[in-house]
Order: sequence, then C-alpha cells, then structure tokens
Amino acid sequence: MSAFFASEVMMDALLPALMIAVVASTVSVMVVAHRLSFLTVGVAHASLAGLGLAAVTGLPLLPVASLVAVLVALLLPWMPTGRGISNDAASGMLFAGSMALGVLLLAGADRQQVDLFGLLFGNILMVDDHDLLWMDLLVPATLLVVFWMARAWWSIAFDATTAEANGLPVRRYRLLLYAVTGTTVILCVKLAGVVLTTGLMVLPAAIAWFWGRTLLSLWLISVAAGVVAVVAGLMLSYARDWPAGASIIVLLCCLFCLSWGCQWWRQRGGIGAG
Amino acid sequence: MPAAVAVRDVGFGPREAPILEQISFALERGHFMGIVGPNGAGKSTLMQLLVGSLAPTRGTIHFNGVPMDPAHRRAILQRIAFVHQLQDHHPTLPIIVEEVVAMGHPDHRRWWWRRSAVRAEIGRVLEQVGIAGCQQRDYRYLSGGQRQRVRLARALLRRPDVLLLDEPSAALDTPAQEQLYRLLRALCDDEGKTVIMVEHDIAAISAFVDSVACLNRTIHHHAKRGEQVPVQVWQDMYGEHMHVVAHDHDCIGCHPERSGAP
Repeated sequence: MSAFFASEVMMDALLPALMIAVVASTVSVMVVAHRLSFLTVGVAHASLAGLGLAAVTGLPLLPVASLVAVLVALLLPWMPTGRGISNDAASGMLFAGSMALGVLLLAGADRQQVDLFGLLFGNILMVDDHDLLWMDLLVPATLLVVFWMARAWWSIAFDATTAEANGLPVRRYRLLLYAVTGTTVILCVKLAGVVLTTGLMVLPAAIAWFWGRTLLSLWLISVAAGVVAVVAGLMLSYARDWPAGASIIVLLCCLFCLSWGCQWWRQRGGIGAG
Repeated sequence: MPAAVAVRDVGFGPREAPILEQISFALERGHFMGIVGPNGAGKSTLMQLLVGSLAPTRGTIHFNGVPMDPAHRRAILQRIAFVHQLQDHHPTLPIIVEEVVAMGHPDHRRWWWRRSAVRAEIGRVLEQVGIAGCQQRDYRYLSGGQRQRVRLARALLRRPDVLLLDEPSAALDTPAQEQLYRLLRALCDDEGKTVIMVEHDIAAISAFVDSVACLNRTIHHHAKRGEQVPVQVWQDMYGEHMHVVAHDHDCIGCHPERSGAP
C-alpha cells in the first residue's frame, strides 16, 4: 500500500479518478431514478464520434467529445417516439450511428495519435494537462448543476405528472439532465473507457438502492461506493498490473453482489428490507 | 369579485371528433364540485386542461379572473394543487414521507435552507390528513390509502386556493373515502378552498359536495346540492340499461346500477 502512495504516476491518477468518481456517483442516482441507464450506454458509445472528430481535427479530446456527447444526448428527446420509436430503440439507433461515425473518423486519423485500447477500456494514467483543466472546469460545474436541480429532478423522477402540474418545466429540466449525463459520461470514458463507462454510471446508485432510505442517503452511499471502488481499484490495478478501469468496475460489481446478498440475508432473517 | 374557477365554452380535440366540447361552469370560493362520468368521458382530460398541461382548442379557463395561458400559467399554478390517480410514482425509490410531502413546496430550490419552517408545515399538513408523526416512515411500505393521504398532504403544503383531485379515493376503503371527503368539505368550509374532484361514485360523494357535473364529452347536467339528476341524464351518459335508485337523504344524484342487479 505504501508503494502505491509513493508512486508518482498513481498519485497523479488518484485525484482525477476521485473527481470522476464523485461526479459519476452523484449523477448515477439521477440516471437510475430517471431510468436513463441505456442512455449512458448510448452516449458512451456515441462519444467515439467525438473522440474520432478530435483525433482527425487535432482539437482537444475532452471538450470535443463532451460537445458531441451532449448533442447526442439532447437528440434523444427529439426522436419520433410518437411514431412508435421508444426511448431504448432511439438510444440504440443513436449510439450505433454515432459509433459507426466514430469508427470511420478514427480509421482516417493518424493511428499513432489514437490510443484505441485506452478509448475502449479507459486509461486514467494518461491524463494530460488539457484533460485536467477540462475536468477542473467540468466537475464543479456538473456538481453545482446537480445540487441546484436535485429537488426538481427528484420530483420529476418520483411523479412527473404532479411535477408538471406544480409548474415545473419537466421537458426542459429533463433535457438539462440528459446534457449533464452526457458530459459526465465523457468524464467516465477517461477512467473506464467507452465499453465500461455504464458501470460507473449505474453501479454506485444500484448499490445505494439496497441501503438507502432517504434521497440524501442514496446520494451519500452512492458517492461512498464510487470513491471506495476507485481508490481500491487503483490500488488493485497497481498491485496486480491490471487495467484500472476494469479493476474499478469489477470492484463495483462485487460491492453490488455483496449488497444484494446482505439484502437477501436480511429479508430471509425477517428483519425486512430497506 | 371574479369566480375562483371559470370555465367558458371549453373544447378539446378536433371539431369533427372532440374529446370535450362546450364545457362551462363557474365556481365561487369555497365551492366543492364533483365530476362524474363513464370511462373515456374526458374527466382526466378536463383536469389536464385545468392545470394547463393541455391547452383548450376552444374556450377559456380563468382562475380568480386570471386566464390560464402560457403567460400566466406559472403564477396560477402557485395557487393550485393537483392530486392525480394513484399511479405513476417511482415504485422502488427509497424515500421517506417527509421528502415526498416536501416535493409539494412551491419553492423547490430554497426549501432546504428553510428546513425547520418547512418541517413544521409538513407536520401540520400530515396532521390535517390524519397521519401525524409519520414523517420518517418509508413511503414504499405504506398502504395505498396512506400513500394517497401523503399525496394529499403534498398538495396541501402548497397552501392552494384551488384543489384539483382526479379519483383520489381509488385506493381507499369506504371509511377512508368518507374521511377524505369530510376533510375536503372542511377545507372548503373552514379555509375557503375551492375543490374540483373527479370520482366515479356519485352516491359516495353526494353528501359532501355542493354540486356535481355529469360529464360525458360535455356537461350533460350540473346538479346542485339536493337536486335530483334526471334519469334521462344517466341514460344519456351510461346507456339505456341504467336504472336509478333514489336515496332518502340530502343527495344530489343516484347510484347508477346495471338493470337486473340485486
């Protein structure tokens, strides 16, 4: 453990990873409450288009990818759901289309510029100054928006009809949530890659769902699970020379299974859930 | 003084196949109106029009003389509360009663900073609906009737002038229904609130409301307290197979039953 804390590379990775963990776990509870898990899959895969665009144009990666992710996330509510295209079908089409675009763009990019394994599975050890600056801006901004909007988003998740009747602009607030989810997904791609990002966006809240009793406790438990998994995952990755993103997601899965088992045990013992 | 609620010639849907047409009524402050009608009569659509979630195709709706239009909707909704049918809430969201009721607070952003004042208000409205002291209870494990009371408490936290309820007794047993209607009656009499409530069972509400509108696409009859709804109105709304059983108390209408029923 002391070797981990003595490693300059790991210490450089720890702070951005923790920032991502806090913001992802915070947005995670909204993603699960609003049933947007598949949106995170879609946006994560769609981010390949943004990453490809950045690689081709030479523009900074995170801002371009974030912009594309937000645009893709905001496209979702404009899909023709009234014509029988459901949200999950719309997400599927969007992510397949934009991922295909990303593959085409990346095929035309200088291969030496593109860390394909890092894109797919994350590489928090390769965070450069540009990425850090972008994270320093995006993480506090995202947290601020979430805290400002939290009560309205909870009201909409709980009972959208009453929220609308109470005068909340439900459609506009949902759009904002989609945009925030999009930017958070891009931050997670840096840590867990396109393929594993959904784990970071769903698992912390899923764990919290087993233990939480109030909305505040849901958030606190989700953040605690995210932070513990990130720190332990990085340590595991350092000790075993495993990919950091995959280590974190496996730990989150273990925490989820443990929570599930505890829940089952408590119910079996007749103590009751929740 | 303008009417608390004034609905004038409201229609909704295409002219050739309207969902609602020529709906008109005006309610004074403190009036309790029931709306009854068969399934698909447009009752819930009328509620959606009243809260401005839908815009009428024809006609106007005013609250205290202020038109329900995009320019005034937000201000009007500060003075209205809506309780809809028991569904649509997130069934697995871990949430306690206090948090559900707090969602009704008009200032959803700042209530956190005035928690102690809001908490006292929450205690007051929970007591008003008959479930005092259950602020910390897990909402997921409440019965249907208790949940409906919590939702009513959430509506009352807004201190509304007008209370709109869409089948609020759907999950309640008969004594709980009667308690709910008594509470609504008291809100009208003691606090001057205007209540509009959609229900299926006219017999259950007739002792409590001031008037009943019989709705099936349009208002076939708007009966005041003590007035008998003509048999023809029932048959127009529900079909020729209806027969009518008269009540011996201060009633507005009669319980529709299928002919041949015991």
